[in-house]
Amino acid sequence: MDILLSLGAGFLEVFQPMNMLVMFIGLVLGMLVAVLPGLTLVMGVVLALPFTYSMGLLPAIILLTSMYVSGTYGGAFTSILFRIPGEPIDVPLLWDGYTMARNGQPAKALGWTLFAALCGGLLSATVMVFLSHPVAKFALTLSSPEYFAILLFGMTSVVSLGGGSISNAFISLLLGLMLSTVGVDSIYGTERFAFGVPFLQDGIEYLLVMVGAYGLGEVFTRLEKGFKSDEKVGDSDGKIATEFPTLAEVGQLKGTFFRSSILGILVGIIPGAGATIASFVAYGAESQYGKRRKEMGTGIAEGIVAPQTAATSSVGGALIPLLTMGIPGSGATAIILGAFLLHGIQPGPQIFVSSGPMVYAIFASLFVSIIGMCILGYFAIKPLVKVLDLPEPVVSAFVVMFCFIGAFAARNNLSDLYVITAFGILGYLCEKLKFPIAPMVLGSILGPLAESSFMTMMISENNDWTVLVARPISATVMVMAVVSLVYPIHRQLRERRLTRRQTP
Amino acid sequence: MLNRLQRAAPYIVLQICVMYFYRLSTQLDFMAPAGRIGPDAWPKMILVLMGGVCVYEIVKNLLVGESFTAAGLLEKLMADADGGAEVANQPNYPLRLWSGIGLTIVYITTIDILGFFTASSIYLALFMIIGRYYRWGVIAATSLIGSLGIMFIFMKVVYVSLPLGTGPFLTVSTALLTVMGVH
Repeated sequence: MDILLSLGAGFLEVFQPMNMLVMFIGLVLGMLVAVLPGLTLVMGVVLALPFTYSMGLLPAIILLTSMYVSGTYGGAFTSILFRIPGEPIDVPLLWDGYTMARNGQPAKALGWTLFAALCGGLLSATVMVFLSHPVAKFALTLSSPEYFAILLFGMTSVVSLGGGSISNAFISLLLGLMLSTVGVDSIYGTERFAFGVPFLQDGIEYLLVMVGAYGLGEVFTRLEKGFKSDEKVGDSDGKIATEFPTLAEVGQLKGTFFRSSILGILVGIIPGAGATIASFVAYGAESQYGKRRKEMGTGIAEGIVAPQTAATSSVGGALIPLLTMGIPGSGATAIILGAFLLHGIQPGPQIFVSSGPMVYAIFASLFVSIIGMCILGYFAIKPLVKVLDLPEPVVSAFVVMFCFIGAFAARNNLSDLYVITAFGILGYLCEKLKFPIAPMVLGSILGPLAESSFMTMMISENNDWTVLVARPISATVMVMAVVSLVYPIHRQLRERRLTRRQTP
Repeated sequence: MLNRLQRAAPYIVLQICVMYFYRLSTQLDFMAPAGRIGPDAWPKMILVLMGGVCVYEIVKNLLVGESFTAAGLLEKLMADADGGAEVANQPNYPLRLWSGIGLTIVYITTIDILGFFTASSIYLALFMIIGRYYRWGVIAATSLIGSLGIMFIFMKVVYVSLPLGTGPFLTVSTALLTVMGVH
């Protein structure tokens, strides 16, 4: 009952004109970045960050979360209509969404997507509301070994779930962890790897790593591959409409909705996994266990509902570890964490005690954002797909500009521009040499938390690291961390052995 | 052999860096109570792990010539996705890339002298040209109006103090700020 009352108060807060305005802007921007192939969702949220510096905390978080949620949906339009996935999240929509559109039912395909985003989003928001408080209470009972084990699990899961080879992902993660050690350490006050350079003595802000590697690095990569100059990518002049599925049709797919929502929430909760993995995993699960699994890929509704429901429901899941433990599990939630920290709030188990009303307002804003996103998606689809006509060189030039302003505005320090340019080049090299960027970014974010938990644990336990396997919770999480790292290697080695045996 | 060396090269470079940073971490200046680990412990652990992975990759690529690579889940899922081959076969334009990077470095080194408006207008225009966009009217309009718009939003609304430049460029920036009503 307390939760519902607090949530009600949160809704009242969200309905303030200023909050509704930033939410609307966030929803539009999220859809735009999801539609534009040159801009990823994480890049979009990064670019929006500098605009939040002068805002209060709540409007800032509302802006970023509404961008995050609508970014998981906007790219569906171009995937279904033009076979252009704006985001990797939308790739599974090509298989059934685009096929359904080609089979003469584009409006129906769009209707299924909209309904899937609505259901998945609302269910995950509900789960988030009721799960966050107990998780925060549980997190209060944890001490440094458990925290370290959870952080380690987050880091190993980003290595095993992400793109690229596991070795490269592991190196990328370790590189991120090393970056976080630059500067003066928090326990002894010792200067590490700063080479006497003043701005390195302050440490390397993870936001600079993110803006550089995700923003500039991506632009440099696309520049090398050649921008699509002034050409129309899709025929956005055709008739575009959305046709909702009937209640009977929805009823037939209730299993798919439920299964994919739960999968999306669970994948969202796992640090390192995000909407893209949720989308692929849900499509894969539907292909294996769905009633019409043999028809997947031929343009059936299940192939649209599963990835879209899971992608949107992963948002609520990802916000749970962020708010209750201060652990961001994905790029977008890392930026939201950055916004919290810039406003002097540290998310974690104490947040319900220190900033309870604000947390419930964030919960409420997620519900309103999801509904707003669907209304916007229904009415504004035609102008939204028009942004595909924007020339990529122009968009990219402005992306670089916003990257620079975002980096500069955080500390009003011109040296930070050099740092993000260096990370832009590093991001480009990583992309070129097939080292995934996400583990490096997550390493630079989780590095200080992991080091501080590790040092606290070692100091309080007299350098006895076996405490990690001696305590039940930390031992369980450590086993999960090891399994998450070893299992994919074992599986692929087994597959290779089988292939070798079958090849004469 | 050249192919093997090419595959191993990034790991050899990384291994050299690892060894250098490990040496640096042994030279950290700190006073830790007896029996307690110091601020060098954490970076040393990271470097040892990184060195281990690099050695594995160097041996695998250079000596064994093994091509097997265990991939993350997303990599495997994306490999099945449409369009993977299409992306892999795209041509590269290194001249555009290095021109873009060079322009970016020039921009960040001159912004303090030229001021945000002048430096950004030039940067935006040249970046679009490097990206092979040749609609001169659009380039002029977007770079000038864009720089001005960004300057207005960040200095008037978000209160970020963007660089104003020196000498005549400071005069230009100050005049624009006066017109915008920023004091």
